[in-house]
Amino acid sequence: MGKRLIGAVVLGLLVAAVGVGCSTHKKSAGANAAGAGLGEEGLGAGSSLEKYKQGTLGAGEEGPLKDIHFAFDSYELDEAARGALRDNGKWIKDHAQAKVEVEGHCDERGTVEYNLALGAKRARAAKDYLVALGVSADRLTTISYGEELPLCHEHNEECWQRNRRAHFVVVSE
Amino acid sequence: MTRERAVMAAILGMTLTWTNAGTAQVRGTIFGPGTRSYPVAVSPLKSLSGPAADVGSRFADIVAADLTLSGYFKILDRAAYIEKPEASGYTVDAINFDNWSVIGALALVKGSYTVEGDNLTLEARLFDVYQRKQLTGRRYHGSIGELRRMANKFADEIMAQFTGERGPFDSRITFVSTRDGRFKEIYVMSLDGGDLQQITKTQTINVSPSWSPDGRSLLFTSYKRRNPDLYSIDLLGGHEVLLSQRPGLNLGGRWSPDGTKIALTVEDEGNADVVVVDRGGKVIRRLTDNWAIDVSPSWSPDGRQIAFCSNRGGGPQIYVMDADGGDARRVTFQGTYNTSPAWSPKGDRIAYTSRLDGGFNVFTVKVDGSDARQLTQSAGNNEDPSWSPDGRYIVFSSSRSGRSKLYVTDANGASQVQLTHGGGDDSSPTWSRWLE
Repeated sequence: MGKRLIGAVVLGLLVAAVGVGCSTHKKSAGANAAGAGLGEEGLGAGSSLEKYKQGTLGAGEEGPLKDIHFAFDSYELDEAARGALRDNGKWIKDHAQAKVEVEGHCDERGTVEYNLALGAKRARAAKDYLVALGVSADRLTTISYGEELPLCHEHNEECWQRNRRAHFVVVSE
Repeated sequence: MTRERAVMAAILGMTLTWTNAGTAQVRGTIFGPGTRSYPVAVSPLKSLSGPAADVGSRFADIVAADLTLSGYFKILDRAAYIEKPEASGYTVDAINFDNWSVIGALALVKGSYTVEGDNLTLEARLFDVYQRKQLTGRRYHGSIGELRRMANKFADEIMAQFTGERGPFDSRITFVSTRDGRFKEIYVMSLDGGDLQQITKTQTINVSPSWSPDGRSLLFTSYKRRNPDLYSIDLLGGHEVLLSQRPGLNLGGRWSPDGTKIALTVEDEGNADVVVVDRGGKVIRRLTDNWAIDVSPSWSPDGRQIAFCSNRGGGPQIYVMDADGGDARRVTFQGTYNTSPAWSPKGDRIAYTSRLDGGFNVFTVKVDGSDARQLTQSAGNNEDPSWSPDGRYIVFSSSRSGRSKLYVTDANGASQVQLTHGGGDDSSPTWSRWLE
């Protein structure tokens, strides 16, 4: 019971502050045990990582917030992306308790590390635009999945276009 | 001069140009990899401890596979060998070299072994058939489980005899694979695909494995605690340390050559920058501070410089900076998308991935930015190059035959061999140094 309580407290802290930087060492068993628990419960149901783990990523959407899309090797927001962000921003402002995680994704082309960095830029660009629209920055977190979590697995532009996205997950409401 | 000798002299000249190394000792005929022309017989070793197992032929199989992979040698078919290992000797005096020259062998591997319980003592010799003399001999002691390493070490020794430089086979490759399901897990294998070991079983995303200089542990980035954090895992005991867990990316960790610090990509407000952290993961120094993406650090072998990928000039390009972050200068100028730099252990060139006509190919370039060479020209994506410990080969991933698999090429791109097969995608290979 005690362990569970500690787990719940740790979980709460993590959700509240999504990864406050520190550099403590953890032994394998401890990190694994804690990691599994946190990973399972800390995510909103709509998280792409959680869907990937469940095997349901790309199976169908979902959620009140719209994906936005990007050109290859770009994190610029085009008019369609800005339009979707205005809608998303309105929803977030209308739901004053909602916290949202912005995921940045890439298509399969290019290398893994660069795409993880590019995904971080995409998520940040979306977040910055939402903040500019008046959404409080502390309600928005970002994470990059690079090319790791494609919605679609074919090797053509239609599929790549779907995968080059920022995805918005309501973490708490 | 016979025709054969004239050909040998020509080949020798060519190779001296290719190696371009004043230190190379030429003790035999050497050639460029990819020519696959030097005929070698690799005889199974003779058992001195009774009719024991298949140790002798497994040793020969591994040596033969290594030498074939090197691109220098043609292994003569064992069925053609006249001398059978159990019924013949393995010293200069006891070998009838006519039995080997008649089947076309210019070099011969023979030897013996003794098994006592789990202990293996193995003696391998390399002979010049034409001159009827022993070129080198090695004795190895260990457990039977170390047979593969003994064979890999002897293949490296054979390479040293013929090319003046130790071969790359006593080493391992770490990579990412989905062979066990849809999750990207970290694996380690030897170059011939043997000794495959699954390192992570986290059922989440794991990326960018790399070696510690002593080959005993790996760095990798895992989403297992949800954020992409940097871990170190000990290969023997499985002991794992969470090294860096800053919010956002903790990506592409690379130990400095002296093993004192780690270059790492971290994220600051969505922007990736390269930092150096100490053994405990504490930031020592920020190397890049730029609005653009800076990612994928790769140390020069002397530890004084770091190559990295940045899109500060528009698209991603390869840059080199001093190890303290100073004096960043661009290295790649062809193409609009160059990523994943890997600094050669010889120090002279940097391998990278380049987007070309919609596909991706492996290139190398001199550190001063001159002499860019394209190594792969095939369909599919060829990515994430990493150098062998001797600097003569490069491992990379390619989707040329469908799913992403690992391939090895010599540093000129002449000889490209598929290393991994089967289901799943294999990617992000990183070659260790020589094992100790």
